[in-house]
Amino acid sequence: MSDTQTLALPRNPPGDLAIWFFIFAELLAFGIFFLAYAFARAKNVELFNQSQLLLNRESGMVNTLVLITSSYFVVRAVAAIREGFSQVCARWLLGAIGLGGVFVAVKLAEFHAKFAAGISLHTNTFYMFYLSLTIFHFMHVLMGMVILGFVAVKARRGGYSADSHTGVETGASYWHMVDLVWLILFPLVYVIR
Amino acid sequence: MRPCTRIWLLLIALSGVTYGIGEAGLGGKAVVATLLAISLVKSQLVAGFFMGLRRTSFMWRAIMGGYLVVVCGMIGVAYWLGAVR
Amino acid sequence: MQYQSQAVAKPYFIAAIGLFVGQILFGLIMGYQYVVGDFLFPALPFNVARMVHTNLLIVWLLFGFMGAAYYMIPEESETELVSPGLAKLMFWIFLIAGALTIVGYLAVPYATLAKMTGNDILPTMGREFLEQPLITKAGIVVVALAFLFNITLTVLKGRKTSVSLVLLLGLWGLAVFFLFSFYNPANLVVDKYYWWWVVHLWVEGVWELILGALLAFVLIKVTGVDREVIEKWLYIIIAMTLITGIIGTGHHYYWIGTPEYWQWFGSVFSALEPIPFFMMTVFAFNMVNRRRREHPNKAATLWALGTGVMAFLGAGVWGFLHTLAPVNYYTHGTQITAAHGHMAFYGAYVLVVLTIISYAMPILRGRAANSERAQVMEMWAFWLMTVAMVFITLFLTAAGILQVWLQRATDTPLPFMAVQEKIALFYWLREATGVVFLIGLIVYVLSFFAKGETKAA
Ligand code: HEM
Ligand code: HEM
Ligand SMILES: [Fe+2]
Repeated sequence: MSDTQTLALPRNPPGDLAIWFFIFAELLAFGIFFLAYAFARAKNVELFNQSQLLLNRESGMVNTLVLITSSYFVVRAVAAIREGFSQVCARWLLGAIGLGGVFVAVKLAEFHAKFAAGISLHTNTFYMFYLSLTIFHFMHVLMGMVILGFVAVKARRGGYSADSHTGVETGASYWHMVDLVWLILFPLVYVIR
Repeated sequence: MRPCTRIWLLLIALSGVTYGIGEAGLGGKAVVATLLAISLVKSQLVAGFFMGLRRTSFMWRAIMGGYLVVVCGMIGVAYWLGAVR
Repeated sequence: MQYQSQAVAKPYFIAAIGLFVGQILFGLIMGYQYVVGDFLFPALPFNVARMVHTNLLIVWLLFGFMGAAYYMIPEESETELVSPGLAKLMFWIFLIAGALTIVGYLAVPYATLAKMTGNDILPTMGREFLEQPLITKAGIVVVALAFLFNITLTVLKGRKTSVSLVLLLGLWGLAVFFLFSFYNPANLVVDKYYWWWVVHLWVEGVWELILGALLAFVLIKVTGVDREVIEKWLYIIIAMTLITGIIGTGHHYYWIGTPEYWQWFGSVFSALEPIPFFMMTVFAFNMVNRRRREHPNKAATLWALGTGVMAFLGAGVWGFLHTLAPVNYYTHGTQITAAHGHMAFYGAYVLVVLTIISYAMPILRGRAANSERAQVMEMWAFWLMTVAMVFITLFLTAAGILQVWLQRATDTPLPFMAVQEKIALFYWLREATGVVFLIGLIVYVLSFFAKGETKAA
């Protein structure tokens, strides 16, 4: 698929069509989870507002910047492979994976602090949602890193080219989804009150 | 500057606004609406420019756009319910 | 048949069909007892008939899965089975152990059977679907291990494909989760908690992988669509299955004494469980539409498409119907559950086993496809059984809605038995439709004996 230069719109999004089914299924999962949070909050506004103040908004913000930037790196990786530069592509991907690692580290520190403070799923409904939503997202970050890892290794070995790089786009699309979800999750759980 | 770099900076800036509102401890209907609108814009930017949906057929953009509008909109409804209760 | 050792699948398939007939006969007996309470009293109590009905179901599906694996694995791995002899031996052990267990259920009271088979050493009996005596359970483990050993080594020896990988994962999962049937803590909450690890994580977890693998295999064969395309879908489907199904277990933890957050987890994740079933339907139709060849076995394609649709209806739609905690609060354990249980088991697992049998059996009998006449009979059987099952489901759903209405969602609830009498009409209708199901099944069995010109292999 060398539609980079042409102006005509490709009908389907970049990457393998199957990953898009998966992405939308995942988005549906997160969407329902978000709405469950929002409507549960409507019944417990006080509790949610109070508990929310105890979250570490700084680490949430840092992670937002980290994910946005890693997503940007992935965009650059795709741009590179479209021009046929596999080593450049691999470097951008490694950068994105590295930032994923930063996200994971920050998140683990955050979880550690919460668990050390004796907070668990049982603490209250807010923390139940906070923990399960962020852990669910966390698992997706890990999965995204694994996918990007496979793509990066293959790119390094020169497995993609300007004409054939569906794999890069597929991995990229999944990673952007992980980012996109966080862009709603962060304000919802950490900020909006 | 590449378009995607501009989008990246825009996303960073918008995140800063969200964070700032959080630091200021603001609340209330207008603030909730603002924050949700920012989230909607940010996620649309990611979907359109990063995921490349901008260059796809109407169906794909509609599915994603519809999804984001429904999720952000319903969150807004839930917060409104919480406020009037 | 490409590999000699695939032939061991044949007795497994035959046994599966035989036990299927037994299952349905007991279903009909129970359906009659539902309205005429003392039918066959005291020779065959309802609870015994129920146990035979459900255990036969599980056992014949297991025969079907094993036969499917023995058929598929040599072909996928492009090598003979490591030990066809072991497979034959295990067949007889499993069949005899199964038959003895059923005889035990029917011949002596359950409590006596429990005493006779060492239930006081390690109590495992008395729980729905896991009623088997300790020795039978141990036998199942032995058979399963020998079976897994056989097919795993075969896969390791030969070509490794996504289909055999997913199948192995599913079958190993099936065996591993069965081990929880040996764990029977005294605390009823904990007991139920792990009981679902067998029941739910089977049908909404690892069995779905088996389902996906079987369906993918048959679709590759009858449509000739590129393996790569089919495998990609397979991966997406199983990923979605596991993401939703594992935490979806929570939809059984609403009212058994587990923490409240399960109402959220169960509702959210199980509400998404229809997605992989939906993808399976789309997948099946999509592949058939893109077919590159016209396979002479039309019946197999029909069964495969039927699996897609009916699994989505039974598991996806009827499952979703009562999976949200606020709904399940009213419907828990009513006829709605039975309606869903029937259509889901039929649509997903009965149909997929019949799909692989339909595809493989003619080949095992030395031809690519059965005669026109036999295929027409098979298709009649498909429609009779499927339509009957749809109506059984609808009647039970109607009975269930009335039951909820009269007994639970009301200010003046009626007692359980009073309600049962009021909804007896639907039980009569269910029984009549059950007879249609049996007729369909008889046509199915007869199709194996139909004469006519077969298509050469
Ligand atoms: C092929 C897949 C499936 C099969 C074979 C199946 C079968 C069954 C059976 C036999 C039961 C009754 C268990 C008992 O209490 O004895 C049951 C219960 C239940 N199933 Fe499924 N099921 C499947 C998929 C699903 C899916 C996808 C959902 C949700 C979307 C679902 C939701 C439920 C719920 C909520 C119950 C509990 C009903 C109650 O509270 O009484 N099932 N299922
Ligand atoms: C392939 C076809 C069938 C399958 C897969 C099947 C499966 C099952 C399952 C999974 C259960 C347990 C349900 C639960 O725990 O909620 C069950 C129970 C039962 N089945 Fe079937 N069955 C089939 C055919 C039939 C037929 C044809 C009849 C009778 C007309 C029948 C009558 C019953 C009855 C009366 C029960 C007991 C329900 C209760 O305990 O309230 N089944 N069957
Ligand atoms: Fe379940």
